[in-house]
Amino acid sequence: MRCPRCNNTDERYFYKGSKGIYCRKCIRFKRTMLMEELESEDYEVNKEASEFELNFRLTEKQKEVSNRVNETIDNRNVLLHCVCGAGKTELVVETISRYLKDGKKVCYAISRKEVVKDLFYRFRKIFKDAKIVALYGGHVKEKSGDLIICTTHQLYRYYKTFDLLVLDEVDAFPLKGNETLLNIAKNSCKGHIIYSTATVDDLLRKEIAKEDYEEIELLFRPGMKPIIVPDVYYLPKFLIYPVLVVLMKKEKNRCIIFVPSKKMCRYLYLVLKNFFDVTYAYSDLEERDGNIESFRRGEHQYIISTSVLERGVTFLDIDVIIIDSIKGVFDESSLVQMTGRVGRNFKNPYGKAIILSSHFSKDISACRKSLERANYELSLLR
Amino acid sequence: MNCLYCDEEIKKIRFAALLNGEDKLCIKCREGMIKRHEKFLVEDMEVETFYDYDSFFRSLLLQYKECYDEALKDVFLYEIKDYLKFRYRGYRILYVPSTKRKNEERGFEHLRGIFSDLGMEEVKGLAMKNELVQEGRNRKEREEMTINYIYNGNMIDKVLIVDDVFTTGSSLKGVYSAIKPFTKRVKAVCLSKKTLA
Repeated sequence: MRCPRCNNTDERYFYKGSKGIYCRKCIRFKRTMLMEELESEDYEVNKEASEFELNFRLTEKQKEVSNRVNETIDNRNVLLHCVCGAGKTELVVETISRYLKDGKKVCYAISRKEVVKDLFYRFRKIFKDAKIVALYGGHVKEKSGDLIICTTHQLYRYYKTFDLLVLDEVDAFPLKGNETLLNIAKNSCKGHIIYSTATVDDLLRKEIAKEDYEEIELLFRPGMKPIIVPDVYYLPKFLIYPVLVVLMKKEKNRCIIFVPSKKMCRYLYLVLKNFFDVTYAYSDLEERDGNIESFRRGEHQYIISTSVLERGVTFLDIDVIIIDSIKGVFDESSLVQMTGRVGRNFKNPYGKAIILSSHFSKDISACRKSLERANYELSLLR
Repeated sequence: MNCLYCDEEIKKIRFAALLNGEDKLCIKCREGMIKRHEKFLVEDMEVETFYDYDSFFRSLLLQYKECYDEALKDVFLYEIKDYLKFRYRGYRILYVPSTKRKNEERGFEHLRGIFSDLGMEEVKGLAMKNELVQEGRNRKEREEMTINYIYNGNMIDKVLIVDDVFTTGSSLKGVYSAIKPFTKRVKAVCLSKKTLA
């Protein structure tokens, strides 16, 4: 027995209900009967939608990678490994455009709702004639268009539909270590998949290696400037907050302060708002979008945030302070992503990132190591 | 055995498992269902609710009702089954009807799935005039829907109306006003109650 949607074969997860046997492994995506024949979504793609326009020119390195992706994807899957801020999105635009030109179905899937919204506007500027559809929780009415941008959780709505699926940030929650979701994503695509990520670990390679794939790397940002490597201060827990205050006093730029839990985010905001110009954001907060937007406009100097701002967002000229006081919350990929928020301005690719940690962890050293490796490769080029 | 909701292995069992039998949820999930026993009147009918309709209970109920996960049907009454059996002995049970379309899609009636374990005799003959869905409607619209039920059946002594979530009470009121002329005593049980946030 095998679930047609999530490929589960473990018999413990099959339950016999009054309508027949169904799979409980992927039950949160609505029930799939075992005998059910899933249908692929059928819609037409407008071939004129393929014209695109980037508002900057790709560097030579970027062009080379973009071409390589374009050549490889017809025959094999691609694992696109780029550092933060290298322009992963722009690298696949050419490939997407070529597929659209042939009238094939393309989907860009990413883990977070905010990023889907953000990408929706970005792609609307790039593909001006295309009808772009964004799908995320609470916004699912329209399912067909020329280019579909959705959260990974919405992929269950499509079965063997896409000719090209770009799966962004495979290293992050919720895709990381979630076999069910990855299988659903794989099943939504009948062609090939571009996995794009900033950190690659063995688990991911193993997961992807079930099918033939090629790894393509781009370890430099377009400005060819070294990536910022975080400074790490190991402190006892009670010293973290005084040190944080001192650092904030010294800070001249705008700054994101990452904390490991929502509760800490709330408490820290309640204390710090009396002394600093500060706002906050976490996933359940109602005024979250407003707070982030006001920080983006520069109305506040600091924002305290959980991992909601960890990836997919771009602020210009900021610094980052990461408080890593709970074990096992921030792993390597999230640390890399958080430091990756720094120096995203093309004209001013500098800034600083500081990790305040209460314990020694492998993830911090792995994060530093991977960033240093990228910088080393850059230094070889010069 | 693994927990039906969070899929973790169940290593410890509670003392209550000796009385109630094997629990299909793990301790953590079971404690996630926050117990709040309340009794109050709707019009002049006594209503009893047992749980808080918080985010956890909501997701549990949605997995059962909207994702059609029939395996969860024994989970809800696990703690209160014996109490209900004792307190409402002699009553006949009446499920608040749900739309036909939904039932066909599900393949089962969700309330019958939960409450059929009580072994009470069922009242038949209650129907909806129009197939309306309550979810997403406001209080005023819901109150207009109370005249939506119609009963044609025999006289019954004691009736227990059961439902899953108590929000404004309008569906209970509707069923109550339809069944009232045919009975001597009516009471109601809802699994959970939505409190104002």
